[in-house]
Amino acid sequence: MRRLLSSTYNVGNCRFVMRFIFGLTLCAFVCLGQADQDAHARKNPLGMQPAAIDAGRGQFVNACAACHGANAEGGRGPNLAESGRLRRMTDDQLFNTVRRGIPGGGMPAFPLPDNTIWQIAAFLRSLNTPAFLVPVAGDARAGSELYRKAQCGSCHMIGGQGGFLGPDLTDIAASRTVKQLREAILKPGDKPLDGFAGVTVTLKSGERVTGIAKNYSDYSVDVLKADGSLHLLDISNIENIQFAAKSLMPDTYTHLFSSEDLQNLIAFLSRQTVRPDTRPDQKAASQEVH
Amino acid sequence: MRYGLLLFLALSAYGQVTYQDLLKSPSANWLTYHGDYRAQRHSPLTQIDAKNISRLAPKWTYHVEGANRLEAVPIVFEGVMYVTDSNAVYAIDARTGKAIWSYKDQFAAKQAVNRGVAILGDSVYFVTADCYLVALHRNSGAILFHKKFADIGKGYFASTAPLALRDRVIVGVAGGDSGMRGFVAALSPSDGGELWRFYTVPAKGEPGSETWGDFDTQWAGGATWMTGTYDPELNTLYWSTGNPWPDFFGSNRRGANLYTDSIVALDAATGKRKWYFQFTPHDTHDWDAQSIPVLADIDLQGHPRRVLLHPNRNGFFYVLDRLTGQFICATPFIEKLDWAKGIDASGKPIEIPDMEPIPGGRRVCPSVRGASNWMSPTYDPVTKLLYVPTLEECDMYTASGHSPEPMKDLGGGGAESIAKEPGKFYMRALDPATGARRWQYPMTGKVEMWAGSVSTAAGLVFFGDDDGSLVALDAVSGKHLWHYYMGQNITASPITFSVNGNQYVSIAAATDVFTFGLVQ
Repeated sequence: MRRLLSSTYNVGNCRFVMRFIFGLTLCAFVCLGQADQDAHARKNPLGMQPAAIDAGRGQFVNACAACHGANAEGGRGPNLAESGRLRRMTDDQLFNTVRRGIPGGGMPAFPLPDNTIWQIAAFLRSLNTPAFLVPVAGDARAGSELYRKAQCGSCHMIGGQGGFLGPDLTDIAASRTVKQLREAILKPGDKPLDGFAGVTVTLKSGERVTGIAKNYSDYSVDVLKADGSLHLLDISNIENIQFAAKSLMPDTYTHLFSSEDLQNLIAFLSRQTVRPDTRPDQKAASQEVH
Repeated sequence: MRYGLLLFLALSAYGQVTYQDLLKSPSANWLTYHGDYRAQRHSPLTQIDAKNISRLAPKWTYHVEGANRLEAVPIVFEGVMYVTDSNAVYAIDARTGKAIWSYKDQFAAKQAVNRGVAILGDSVYFVTADCYLVALHRNSGAILFHKKFADIGKGYFASTAPLALRDRVIVGVAGGDSGMRGFVAALSPSDGGELWRFYTVPAKGEPGSETWGDFDTQWAGGATWMTGTYDPELNTLYWSTGNPWPDFFGSNRRGANLYTDSIVALDAATGKRKWYFQFTPHDTHDWDAQSIPVLADIDLQGHPRRVLLHPNRNGFFYVLDRLTGQFICATPFIEKLDWAKGIDASGKPIEIPDMEPIPGGRRVCPSVRGASNWMSPTYDPVTKLLYVPTLEECDMYTASGHSPEPMKDLGGGGAESIAKEPGKFYMRALDPATGARRWQYPMTGKVEMWAGSVSTAAGLVFFGDDDGSLVALDAVSGKHLWHYYMGQNITASPITFSVNGNQYVSIAAATDVFTFGLVQ
């Protein structure tokens, strides 16, 4: 692991808005009581039919692009492509958000025909399909070997094996698109994921606690160390907090991995899910996503 | 003064949760759904008391996005709180309310309420609505395993907080209102593999199947949707079972319908049944036995007895010998009770004829929600009282004219509240030795609460009331001492714990977790 600890913040002056680890905003499922709650949730009757997705793309340009951009990558309205929040919405919630808008949230209601809304929903789903649900080219076995050789497990866990400083990869194919997996490897970016910012905390006692900040406020910081221990620290006991300038994820893989290596690694990661693999036969797949 | 209250030592969640820790709970930690294996929910903490409770104030609120009915009891270990919602777990700094990690199973095939986690070693365990046991690393939330324990295609779903023992995790199943066959299972803490399974309803030809007539018991109900209790000395689990199915239509399941509406005592090592006690034979009013089987050691007529206390949904408060299952006594703990004259010497109800639901409707007391339900009571070993959230209510029960279809139709009938006769909740203090009521605290509200209680060695009883307030009463007198209105319906039970020497009280309301502590 590389530690890049270059920017120092004075305690008390820095507001670090932590949402939730992994960028997880939380579920919006409706809970109706003690009983099984699925009985009345609508599902998209069009499913993921290619024709519906194509039609939805056109409808989206007509109705939604002015705010969300022609490719749904955001504008005045939020990015709807590769949106974790959208992915976690049920079909029913997605439908209702279009039909009713978000009162007080800036999004107007769109009294479109049901079929049109379902087409738009199919299109948006197609931009957010998690990696384990699409065919992915590459040799997953070779990708597994590369995962081992590149020591990804020093920071990441799969099935309880590995390190603590990077996101758990056990179910990563269910929470990331193929594109997101690729970008996470090649372009980890300057901004660490929420809950994974590298940090060194120096206590007034002189003890130093180095790891990732699971949260941080003017009053407290919780640090997960590389050994898996969690340290709940109070600002009144802290002398200094030093955050890493950028993500702890190395940004050198562009140079280290061949394109074949990379594809193999993505093929491996796209199989990391706790849910059954329901994809079509990989070999028979006619449409590969890179 | 900003940090005047925060003179904490750095807190490090280093140690694993051991079986010894579980045996010591509750103390600073609150480690199981019921706080302790016996479900007494009585905490030794005394920092908050009747003299200083006027200084009890909110410390933080954690909003669970998307939640509308939190039913989880928070679990706290060394300053970290774990709360669940449908298919989701949240780890929160219990001092501050700040999120540490969260987990959401977004591909779960069902949604259902969830009542919380179990914790053992480095693992936090919870069940998804579609019946997987998920183990997460308690400090990082990393998935350690995700293992199916029941098939939703057979009518199951899951909502129960698992129960961690020394070397196994016990789970139950829900779904008994639309046909399934209930069971309790012991799963491996390391990989979720099944160690044993006990079916609460016998298969055809097995002992007890004669109590079902010709009914196909694979749909017979007997769900196990509330966390059971455990006697470590006897290595015995006490698990409640739900209603027979169809709930309100009983003519095609002739007999007592064993082992529904019962407590089953199971050998924790093998899952073999040691004894059972059925409260409501051939139930047609959906009176699951899911009230908590509280374990206590009390004096009865001068003799110490190891007993099981059970304020049942059918309106009677039972005391059983927990070694043998022997019936000791039962007394009504509600006034609106008209389906039975009493309980005979063997523990069976002396039923009044013609109280079964009929197509045109029939008024019966108590209501379908029962005299008490899954809201947790608390047993205070100092006052020797059991504090029971109690509902006085009657319902109009109806039966369909035909047998319903499994997994499609609910219950074969139903129960409706009676507009002219609204129900009312009370917190009642019962003396287990006599069944007598010592005091009661009436509640005004919408008759929608599902909140339980917790008592402390400082002589306090906390509970959620029917109006959305967390309330503290004097344990001896029932006198009101403190309340805080949360503006939400309460559907979970409170806990108390301490971090760095500071005592807190927490409760999950509909959409938020509230935590209270003393201000200077």
